[in-house]
Amino acid sequence: MSNNRVSRRQFLNYTLTGVGGFMAAGILMPMVRFAIDPALQTKTDGDFVQTSQKVADLTEEPVKVDFSYEQVDAWYTSEVTDTAWVYKSGDSIVALSPVCKHLGCTVNWNSDTEHPNQFFCACHGGRYEKTGKNIPGTPPLGPLDAYEVSEKDGFLLLGKKIANNLV
Amino acid sequence: MFFNVNDVKQFQSQKDFIDTALVPLLSLEFEDERIKQSSSAADFLMSLTAFVEQQFKGRLMLVPPFSYTKQTKAGLPVILLKEELQNAGFKHVIFITNDHAWTSDSEQVDVIWLPSIPLESMDKGVRKTVLEEQLKQIIPILTSKWFQS
Repeated sequence: MSNNRVSRRQFLNYTLTGVGGFMAAGILMPMVRFAIDPALQTKTDGDFVQTSQKVADLTEEPVKVDFSYEQVDAWYTSEVTDTAWVYKSGDSIVALSPVCKHLGCTVNWNSDTEHPNQFFCACHGGRYEKTGKNIPGTPPLGPLDAYEVSEKDGFLLLGKKIANNLV
Repeated sequence: MFFNVNDVKQFQSQKDFIDTALVPLLSLEFEDERIKQSSSAADFLMSLTAFVEQQFKGRLMLVPPFSYTKQTKAGLPVILLKEELQNAGFKHVIFITNDHAWTSDSEQVDVIWLPSIPLESMDKGVRKTVLEEQLKQIIPILTSKWFQS
């Protein structure tokens, strides 16, 4: 039997500190977690949306790529389908929004026979160069918006709408 | 443009550019043997006009549909409707419908008639291609109207 015996008082002190410590930790831990929670949340891939377009199939010629995502308006969730004009420029991929900067019609690539290789808006004859730059003298006042572009497993991902950085 | 406050405000400030009204004429039938087909046709016309609106947002305004039944059809004077819209600043007033009967009025008003396609059994991708095909039929009609003036 060892000589340094634990007195009743010491024993009670140790057990109470131990149990009290656990209880305090049990209360404090969730509070701390709640306080720093936004910092712990994992970002879901920067809000990129998967498309069915293979990156390897892209060429210099713009193609229409549809992509859909869920949009929440208050309590109402709806699936929205959007379109982008996507092409390769050198090694980088360019994705342009088809929404005309004039009054919001949908522009098409190469649909005006008099002005080939341009984006054309059938509403008021607005035209854009391949880079999305608006052609002076036509109604639009700014270049087409672009989408953030990424790649995953060979498929194209489209992100947020950004200002056109090619012009 | 849709018929809501924001779009109407834009229409008022941009009347030079937004010069076309697209008016759906919607036939409703409630008899037991017809109601299903009628709802399918209504769904098609609403989907298609919304799709047209998306393409030509900056040039045309999609007006809420004018609905009628067999009994109330006679009370829908489209010519007066056209005049009222023209007075409001729409140079072109185009009616769109699944009801073949309106084609007999095509001398006084511009009517686009399309046979309805049942969309309810299609999945989303097919539905979109069908609507795109229909849109391709409508685009030349609209652009020729716009070029006339």
